[in-house]
Amino acid sequence: MVMDKSLSAEWTRIRGRLRAEYGEAAYRSWLKPLTLCGYSDNRVKLSAPTRFMRDWVDSQYGDRLSRLWKGEIEEIEGVDLILEGGMPSAPAAFQVQVAAKTAAGAGSGAGNDIGAPLDPRFTFANFIVGKPNELAFAAARRVAEASAVPFNPLFLYGGVGLGKTHLMHAIAWQIRETRPDRRVIYLSAEKFMYQFIRALRYKDTMAFKEQFRSVDVLMIDDVQFIAGKDNTQEEFFHTFNALVDQNHQVIISADKSPNDLEGMEERMKSRLGWGLVADIHPTTYELRLGIMQAKAEQLEVPIPQKVLEFLAHKITSNIRELEGALNRIGAYAKLVGRPVTLENTQDVLHDILRANDRRVTIEEIQKRVAEHYNIRLSEMYSARRARAVARPRQVAMYLAKQLTARSLPEIGRKFGGRDHTTVMHAVRKVDELRSTDRGFAEDIELLRRMLEN
Amino acid sequence: MTAGAQLSFEFDHRPAMGQQDFLIAPCNEDAVAWIDAWPDWPASAVCIYGPPACGKTHLANVWRTRSNALALAAEDLTGRTPAELLGEAAACVVDGAEAADERALLHLFNLLAERRGHLLLTAGQPPARWNVGLQDLRSRLLAAPAAAIGAPDEGLIGAVLIKMFADRQIQVPHDVVIYLVMRIERSFDCVRRVVDLLDRAALSAHRSLTVPLAREVLRAHGMD
Repeated sequence: MVMDKSLSAEWTRIRGRLRAEYGEAAYRSWLKPLTLCGYSDNRVKLSAPTRFMRDWVDSQYGDRLSRLWKGEIEEIEGVDLILEGGMPSAPAAFQVQVAAKTAAGAGSGAGNDIGAPLDPRFTFANFIVGKPNELAFAAARRVAEASAVPFNPLFLYGGVGLGKTHLMHAIAWQIRETRPDRRVIYLSAEKFMYQFIRALRYKDTMAFKEQFRSVDVLMIDDVQFIAGKDNTQEEFFHTFNALVDQNHQVIISADKSPNDLEGMEERMKSRLGWGLVADIHPTTYELRLGIMQAKAEQLEVPIPQKVLEFLAHKITSNIRELEGALNRIGAYAKLVGRPVTLENTQDVLHDILRANDRRVTIEEIQKRVAEHYNIRLSEMYSARRARAVARPRQVAMYLAKQLTARSLPEIGRKFGGRDHTTVMHAVRKVDELRSTDRGFAEDIELLRRMLEN
Repeated sequence: MTAGAQLSFEFDHRPAMGQQDFLIAPCNEDAVAWIDAWPDWPASAVCIYGPPACGKTHLANVWRTRSNALALAAEDLTGRTPAELLGEAAACVVDGAEAADERALLHLFNLLAERRGHLLLTAGQPPARWNVGLQDLRSRLLAAPAAAIGAPDEGLIGAVLIKMFADRQIQVPHDVVIYLVMRIERSFDCVRRVVDLLDRAALSAHRSLTVPLAREVLRAHGMD
């Protein structure tokens, strides 16, 4: 089966026609997945990825396909739809590229190293300073740069996702760079706990103690996680004392001040508060916007200023979520190859911006559409076929199908007892108009947004 | 997880859509795109959420094969440390993650982030709507992309109908599929119910699966 080169040009043209005739949604669902796979005995062979798709396309679009092909090349007698041959369909998700950099390969540091690896993004240079975090930032800088221990311990505290871990990693990077001879260990309190439990189990606590007591700088993140774990706390207390006694730097972070840590022994609390206690306050709008602007510059896609302002305004809980949101929209834009706008930002982040996805009802749709086109609500059920009322009615049917799960017969019933084929016709009509009339498409989009928000 | 549990987990997946019957539809293309984009994810985790039977477990399996990930159910997380659970793995799927123990999930999250690994969560709702008390976990969850598998369109309804009948060893004629797709509610729940009703009706009346039978069944249950 030799495929003439020109056939693919025809196929491209036909696909363009189909897209215009049936609208974007139908095109994407049904026609775009078809592959031109051959031509023989005056028949064009198209393959569909699933059996159902093949049957559906055959029954709904088969005649049109044949006629379009005939229009292109006269001697073509028809189109055969076949199932994508023997091999599994290969939509993008299943084209297994052998990922060269498998994540597994990066799993170093999980083995014997007692500390945790440092995140390369978490440096002082990448830390955006504002009123809420300037004290903690200055203290961290001081510890990283000082030749003698300036205060012991440095205790950083603040709510979740405000940059404590970032500052600790930044200290470690800085010390590694300026004084590579010093042994710096960073790890979370939970990891400290797991290692201690393991040491207990393997009766290896001596090695455990030595490991920790021989470091120059020890950083324990989220110390609240060992609150209430008495054995671990006891061990931590001894490690802590041993290091402080030797004048080795200890840096601790927690979600609360030493005094407010629940389940922590009193002697531990008081020790933790001996050095400098620096808190990080909740972010201000200015700081959030500053962070957004700095982060946005590192993304591969441009983010409009009003999107940054919108995010800084809406996501106030903490920086992690804010950065996460920015990363999500950046990655999404890259994924679908569309620029970031305020509208698609709201769509992509709908799960965090809205408490609930509203369930739209057919009645609401009818009401909104009637208002929008300034016609009486009763026209939604009336038998009148004048275009001024028929078009809005079709739009409402279309939206009812897009925004609700209701069956087509049920939608028909709600529109004055119409048949499901009438609903289908309306859907097809609206799809067609959307693809040819930009103003109309925007209108529909506006209605959809109003209904969903 | 014991070997036995893992076996039954595998088995549960067997009736899931084969690749040939998996349709990338507008309602699941975001989720598919995220699976495709791995390992280029902007966070250490991605969550795929949607109603039961919408194909999220299927997608998770596709990713699992690619990433060599460990598969865990939410209840597997309790009782063992994350290091014990993961072994050397740097990728992990947690199915039904909203039911997982919060601390265990947080620690798993952290360990994977530390290994520059990845976590794929599946759930019924987006993490922003889970009832998470642990703020450290909540903020990590909210920073991760969440992709919805939305309401299915006709293509997916058709594929799921065929698949669910096939799971019952029934080859459904294509005119019946088309008849049903045009008439039933567009939800996975409804497909499941209709398949069940039709299967039973055909069995008890010793009739084969035809459009007239489908019409009778839909009518008898007020779904026509």
